[in-house]
Amino acid sequence: MNPDQAAQAAQLPRRIIKETQKLLSEPAPGISASPSEENLRYFNVMILGPQQSPYEGGVFKLELFLPEDYPMAPPKVRFLTKIYHPNIDKLGRICLDILKDKWSPALQIRTVLLSIQALLSAPNPDDPLAEHVAKHWKENEKEAIATARQWTAMHAQG
Amino acid sequence: MSVPVPRSFRLLEELDRGEKGFGDGTVSYGMEDPDDIHMRNWTGTIIGPANTVHDQRIYSLKIHCDLSYPEQAPKLWFKSRVNMGCVDQRDGRIDPTKFPMLGNWKREYTLEQLLTEIRRDMSSPLNRKAPQPPEGTMF
Repeated sequence: MNPDQAAQAAQLPRRIIKETQKLLSEPAPGISASPSEENLRYFNVMILGPQQSPYEGGVFKLELFLPEDYPMAPPKVRFLTKIYHPNIDKLGRICLDILKDKWSPALQIRTVLLSIQALLSAPNPDDPLAEHVAKHWKENEKEAIATARQWTAMHAQG
Repeated sequence: MSVPVPRSFRLLEELDRGEKGFGDGTVSYGMEDPDDIHMRNWTGTIIGPANTVHDQRIYSLKIHCDLSYPEQAPKLWFKSRVNMGCVDQRDGRIDPTKFPMLGNWKREYTLEQLLTEIRRDMSSPLNRKAPQPPEGTMF
Protein backbone atom coordinates (compact mmCIF):
# COMPACT_ATOMS: atom_id res chain seq x y z
CA MET A 1 0.00 0.00 0.00
CA ASN A 2 1.36 3.45 -0.86
CA PRO A 3 0.89 6.32 1.64
CA ASP A 4 -2.09 7.64 -0.31
CA GLN A 5 -3.93 4.35 -0.14
CA ALA A 6 -3.01 3.90 3.50
CA ALA A 7 -4.52 7.31 4.29
CA GLN A 8 -7.63 6.39 2.30
CA ALA A 9 -7.97 3.04 4.06
CA ALA A 10 -7.63 4.72 7.45
CA GLN A 11 -10.72 6.80 6.65
CA LEU A 12 -12.73 3.88 5.36
CA PRO A 13 -15.44 2.59 7.69
CA ARG A 14 -14.60 -0.75 9.26
CA ARG A 15 -17.67 -2.32 7.69
CA ILE A 16 -16.43 -1.53 4.17
CA ILE A 17 -12.96 -2.91 4.93
CA LYS A 18 -14.46 -6.16 6.22
CA GLU A 19 -16.80 -6.55 3.28
CA THR A 20 -13.95 -5.93 0.86
CA GLN A 21 -11.68 -8.48 2.52
CA LYS A 22 -14.43 -11.09 2.45
CA LEU A 23 -15.24 -10.39 -1.21
CA LEU A 24 -11.61 -10.91 -2.13
CA SER A 25 -10.96 -13.96 0.06
CA GLU A 26 -14.28 -15.77 -0.49
CA PRO A 27 -15.73 -14.61 -3.80
CA ALA A 28 -19.24 -15.81 -4.66
CA PRO A 29 -19.33 -18.24 -7.61
CA GLY A 30 -19.41 -16.42 -10.93
CA ILE A 31 -18.82 -13.01 -9.33
CA SER A 32 -15.67 -10.99 -8.78
CA ALA A 33 -15.41 -7.55 -7.22
CA SER A 34 -12.22 -5.67 -6.51
CA PRO A 35 -11.74 -2.12 -5.27
CA SER A 36 -9.99 0.37 -7.51
CA GLU A 37 -6.54 1.52 -6.39
CA GLU A 38 -7.45 5.22 -6.50
CA ASN A 39 -10.79 4.89 -4.75
CA LEU A 40 -11.47 2.11 -2.29
CA ARG A 41 -15.21 2.79 -2.47
CA TYR A 42 -15.25 2.12 -6.21
CA PHE A 43 -15.29 -1.51 -7.36
CA ASN A 44 -14.69 -3.17 -10.69
CA VAL A 45 -17.16 -6.02 -10.87
CA MET A 46 -17.51 -8.99 -13.20
CA ILE A 47 -20.51 -11.29 -13.29
CA LEU A 48 -20.60 -14.43 -15.41
CA GLY A 49 -23.89 -15.02 -17.21
CA PRO A 50 -25.75 -17.74 -15.28
CA GLN A 51 -26.15 -21.21 -16.80
CA GLN A 52 -29.50 -21.88 -18.51
CA SER A 53 -29.94 -18.14 -19.08
CA PRO A 54 -29.55 -16.29 -22.40
CA TYR A 55 -26.48 -14.65 -20.83
CA GLU A 56 -24.63 -17.96 -20.37
CA GLY A 57 -21.08 -17.74 -21.68
CA GLY A 58 -20.99 -13.97 -21.23
CA VAL A 59 -18.69 -11.95 -19.00
CA PHE A 60 -20.46 -8.79 -17.82
CA LYS A 61 -18.55 -5.84 -16.45
CA LEU A 62 -20.17 -3.58 -13.89
CA GLU A 63 -19.08 -0.69 -11.71
CA LEU A 64 -20.12 -0.27 -8.10
CA PHE A 65 -19.71 2.69 -5.76
CA LEU A 66 -20.33 2.93 -2.03
CA PRO A 67 -21.68 6.43 -1.34
CA GLU A 68 -20.71 8.39 1.72
CA ASP A 69 -23.77 7.25 3.70
CA TYR A 70 -23.33 3.54 2.89
CA PRO A 71 -24.61 1.27 4.49
CA MET A 72 -27.52 3.56 5.34
CA ALA A 73 -27.89 4.16 1.60
CA PRO A 74 -27.56 1.40 -1.03
CA PRO A 75 -24.50 0.96 -3.25
CA LYS A 76 -24.73 2.47 -6.72
CA VAL A 77 -24.28 -0.12 -9.47
CA ARG A 78 -24.52 -0.22 -13.22
CA PHE A 79 -23.59 -2.50 -16.13
CA LEU A 80 -20.76 -1.36 -18.37
CA THR A 81 -21.25 -4.24 -20.80
CA LYS A 82 -24.19 -3.87 -23.17
CA ILE A 83 -26.95 -6.31 -22.27
CA TYR A 84 -30.41 -7.08 -23.68
CA HIS A 85 -32.56 -7.38 -20.56
CA PRO A 86 -35.95 -5.84 -19.66
CA ASN A 87 -34.72 -4.53 -16.30
CA ILE A 88 -31.44 -3.01 -17.50
CA ASP A 89 -31.38 0.07 -19.74
CA LYS A 90 -28.98 1.33 -22.40
CA LEU A 91 -26.86 3.14 -19.84
CA GLY A 92 -26.58 0.00 -17.72
CA ARG A 93 -28.95 1.23 -15.05
CA ILE A 94 -30.58 -1.62 -13.15
CA CYS A 95 -34.17 -1.80 -11.95
CA LEU A 96 -33.91 -3.79 -8.74
CA ASP A 97 -35.90 -3.05 -5.59
CA ILE A 98 -33.02 -3.59 -3.14
CA LEU A 99 -31.04 -0.87 -4.94
CA LYS A 100 -33.89 1.53 -4.19
CA ASP A 101 -36.70 1.47 -1.62
CA LYS A 102 -36.11 -2.12 -0.46
CA TRP A 103 -32.50 -1.45 0.57
CA SER A 104 -31.60 -2.36 4.13
CA PRO A 105 -28.25 -1.87 5.89
CA ALA A 106 -28.41 -5.60 6.67
CA LEU A 107 -27.72 -6.24 2.98
CA GLN A 108 -24.17 -6.17 1.63
CA ILE A 109 -22.20 -5.75 -1.59
CA ARG A 110 -22.24 -9.52 -1.91
CA THR A 111 -26.04 -9.79 -1.59
CA VAL A 112 -26.50 -7.01 -4.12
CA LEU A 113 -24.29 -8.75 -6.66
CA LEU A 114 -25.99 -12.10 -6.07
CA SER A 115 -29.36 -10.41 -6.64
CA ILE A 116 -28.11 -8.93 -9.91
CA GLN A 117 -26.87 -12.37 -10.96
CA ALA A 118 -30.31 -13.78 -10.07
CA LEU A 119 -31.96 -11.02 -12.13
CA LEU A 120 -30.06 -12.32 -15.16
CA SER A 121 -31.63 -15.74 -14.59
CA ALA A 122 -35.09 -14.30 -14.04
CA PRO A 123 -35.84 -11.22 -16.17
CA ASN A 124 -39.00 -9.48 -15.04
CA PRO A 125 -40.74 -7.80 -18.01
CA ASP A 126 -43.62 -6.69 -15.74
CA ASP A 127 -41.39 -4.16 -13.99
CA PRO A 128 -39.47 -2.83 -16.97
CA LEU A 129 -36.77 -0.23 -17.27
CA ALA A 130 -36.01 -0.83 -20.94
CA GLU A 131 -39.57 -0.50 -22.25
CA HIS A 132 -39.06 -1.83 -25.76
CA VAL A 133 -37.06 -4.82 -24.52
CA ALA A 134 -39.82 -5.65 -22.03
CA LYS A 135 -42.43 -5.34 -24.78
CA HIS A 136 -40.39 -7.68 -26.97
CA TRP A 137 -40.12 -10.13 -24.06
CA LYS A 138 -43.87 -10.16 -23.47
CA GLU A 139 -44.88 -10.36 -27.12
CA ASN A 140 -42.35 -12.92 -28.27
CA GLU A 141 -40.28 -14.33 -25.45
CA LYS A 142 -38.51 -16.87 -27.66
CA GLU A 143 -37.30 -14.21 -30.05
CA ALA A 144 -36.33 -11.81 -27.22
CA ILE A 145 -34.24 -14.54 -25.62
CA ALA A 146 -32.56 -15.20 -28.97
CA THR A 147 -31.69 -11.48 -29.20
CA ALA A 148 -30.32 -11.57 -25.65
CA ARG A 149 -28.12 -14.54 -26.69
CA GLN A 150 -26.87 -12.65 -29.76
CA TRP A 151 -26.01 -9.60 -27.65
CA THR A 152 -24.17 -11.83 -25.18
CA ALA A 153 -22.10 -13.31 -28.01
CA MET A 154 -21.52 -9.87 -29.53
CA HIS A 155 -20.79 -7.67 -26.51
CA ALA A 156 -20.01 -9.84 -23.47
CA GLN A 157 -16.93 -11.76 -24.44
CA GLY A 158 -14.70 -10.25 -21.72
CA MET B 1 -13.70 15.16 4.03
CA SER B 2 -16.69 14.20 1.93
CA VAL B 3 -16.51 11.25 -0.43
CA PRO B 4 -16.26 12.31 -4.09
CA VAL B 5 -18.77 10.50 -6.29
CA PRO B 6 -17.10 9.01 -9.41
CA ARG B 7 -17.89 10.57 -12.79
CA SER B 8 -20.35 7.96 -14.04
CA PHE B 9 -22.54 7.91 -10.94
CA ARG B 10 -22.36 11.67 -10.66
CA LEU B 11 -23.64 12.00 -14.24
CA LEU B 12 -26.32 9.37 -13.63
CA GLU B 13 -27.52 11.44 -10.66
CA GLU B 14 -27.60 14.53 -12.86
CA LEU B 15 -29.43 12.62 -15.60
CA ASP B 16 -31.97 11.38 -13.07
CA ARG B 17 -32.59 14.92 -11.90
CA GLY B 18 -32.83 16.16 -15.47
CA GLU B 19 -35.33 13.41 -16.35
CA LYS B 20 -37.54 14.14 -13.34
CA GLY B 21 -37.39 17.88 -13.96
CA PHE B 22 -36.69 20.55 -11.38
CA GLY B 23 -37.46 24.13 -10.43
CA ASP B 24 -39.88 26.11 -12.57
CA GLY B 25 -38.72 24.56 -15.85
CA THR B 26 -36.91 27.68 -17.07
CA VAL B 27 -33.74 25.60 -17.44
CA SER B 28 -33.60 21.91 -18.36
CA TYR B 29 -31.19 19.40 -19.82
CA GLY B 30 -30.93 15.83 -21.08
CA MET B 31 -28.59 13.48 -22.88
CA GLU B 32 -28.07 14.04 -26.58
CA ASP B 33 -27.05 10.47 -27.34
CA PRO B 34 -28.92 8.07 -25.01
CA ASP B 35 -26.73 5.16 -26.19
CA ASP B 36 -23.44 6.65 -25.04
CA ILE B 37 -22.40 4.75 -21.93
CA HIS B 38 -19.87 7.51 -21.17
CA MET B 39 -22.60 10.17 -21.13
CA ARG B 40 -20.50 12.81 -22.87
CA ASN B 41 -22.94 14.88 -24.92
CA TRP B 42 -25.90 16.72 -23.47
CA THR B 43 -28.35 19.35 -24.56
CA GLY B 44 -29.60 22.17 -22.43
CA THR B 45 -32.52 24.56 -22.79
CA ILE B 46 -32.89 28.00 -21.25
CA ILE B 47 -36.03 30.12 -21.39
CA GLY B 48 -35.03 33.77 -21.39
CA PRO B 49 -35.81 35.71 -18.21
CA ALA B 50 -38.63 38.27 -18.05
CA ASN B 51 -37.91 42.01 -18.24
CA THR B 52 -34.96 41.46 -20.58
CA VAL B 53 -34.52 41.28 -24.36
CA HIS B 54 -34.38 37.50 -23.86
CA ASP B 55 -37.90 37.32 -22.44
CA GLN B 56 -39.66 34.10 -23.56
CA ARG B 57 -36.94 33.19 -26.06
CA ILE B 58 -36.03 29.51 -26.07
CA TYR B 59 -32.28 28.92 -26.27
CA SER B 60 -30.70 25.53 -27.02
CA LEU B 61 -27.22 24.69 -25.85
CA LYS B 62 -24.80 21.87 -26.41
CA ILE B 63 -22.87 20.60 -23.40
CA HIS B 64 -19.83 18.34 -23.57
CA CYS B 65 -18.70 16.50 -20.43
CA ASP B 66 -15.46 14.79 -21.34
CA LEU B 67 -13.92 12.01 -19.28
CA SER B 68 -12.34 14.50 -16.87
CA TYR B 69 -15.73 15.86 -15.76
CA PRO B 70 -16.53 16.83 -12.99
CA GLU B 71 -12.90 17.47 -12.03
CA GLN B 72 -12.73 19.74 -15.09
CA ALA B 73 -15.49 22.03 -16.27
CA PRO B 74 -17.74 20.91 -19.12
CA LYS B 75 -17.64 22.80 -22.44
CA LEU B 76 -20.75 24.69 -23.49
CA TRP B 77 -21.95 26.18 -26.74
CA PHE B 78 -25.11 28.05 -27.55
CA LYS B 79 -26.76 26.45 -30.59
CA SER B 80 -29.28 29.30 -30.78
CA ARG B 81 -27.76 32.63 -31.71
CA VAL B 82 -27.49 34.98 -28.76
CA ASN B 83 -25.57 38.15 -28.07
CA MET B 84 -24.02 37.91 -24.61
CA GLY B 85 -20.65 39.04 -23.28
CA CYS B 86 -19.48 35.51 -22.53
CA VAL B 87 -20.52 33.98 -25.87
CA ASP B 88 -18.03 33.74 -28.73
CA GLN B 89 -19.92 35.08 -31.75
CA ARG B 90 -18.04 32.80 -34.14
CA ASP B 91 -19.27 29.46 -32.79
CA GLY B 92 -21.48 30.11 -29.77
CA ARG B 93 -18.92 28.78 -27.30
CA ILE B 94 -19.18 30.12 -23.76
CA ASP B 95 -15.74 31.53 -23.04
CA PRO B 96 -14.53 30.24 -19.64
CA THR B 97 -12.35 33.33 -19.22
CA LYS B 98 -15.50 35.48 -19.41
CA PHE B 99 -17.77 33.24 -17.39
CA PRO B 100 -16.44 32.84 -13.82
CA MET B 101 -18.36 29.68 -12.97
CA LEU B 102 -16.53 27.85 -15.78
CA GLY B 103 -13.23 29.66 -15.27
CA ASN B 104 -13.18 28.88 -11.55
CA TRP B 105 -14.84 25.51 -11.84
CA LYS B 106 -15.42 23.39 -8.73
CA ARG B 107 -16.31 19.70 -8.80
CA GLU B 108 -19.48 20.39 -6.76
CA TYR B 109 -21.01 22.55 -9.50
CA THR B 110 -23.72 20.84 -11.53
CA LEU B 111 -25.18 21.24 -15.02
CA GLU B 112 -28.33 22.60 -13.38
CA GLN B 113 -26.37 25.29 -11.54
CA LEU B 114 -24.44 26.16 -14.71
CA LEU B 115 -27.55 26.63 -16.83
CA THR B 116 -29.20 28.61 -14.04
CA GLU B 117 -26.14 30.86 -13.83
CA ILE B 118 -26.12 31.41 -17.60
CA ARG B 119 -29.78 32.37 -17.40
CA ARG B 120 -29.05 34.73 -14.55
CA ASP B 121 -26.29 36.32 -16.63
CA MET B 122 -28.90 37.17 -19.27
CA SER B 123 -30.33 39.64 -16.74
CA SER B 124 -27.00 41.34 -16.04
CA PRO B 125 -26.73 45.06 -16.94
CA LEU B 126 -24.43 44.12 -19.85
CA ASN B 127 -26.76 41.53 -21.36
CA ARG B 128 -30.31 42.48 -20.51
CA LYS B 129 -30.63 45.14 -23.19
CA ALA B 130 -28.01 43.93 -25.70
CA PRO B 131 -29.40 43.86 -29.25
CA GLN B 132 -30.24 40.29 -30.25
CA PRO B 133 -30.23 38.40 -33.56
CA PRO B 134 -33.65 37.31 -34.86
CA GLU B 135 -35.28 34.72 -32.68
CA GLY B 136 -34.74 31.10 -33.74
CA THR B 137 -31.51 31.67 -35.71
CA MET B 138 -28.69 29.20 -35.06
CA PHE B 139 -24.88 29.30 -34.84
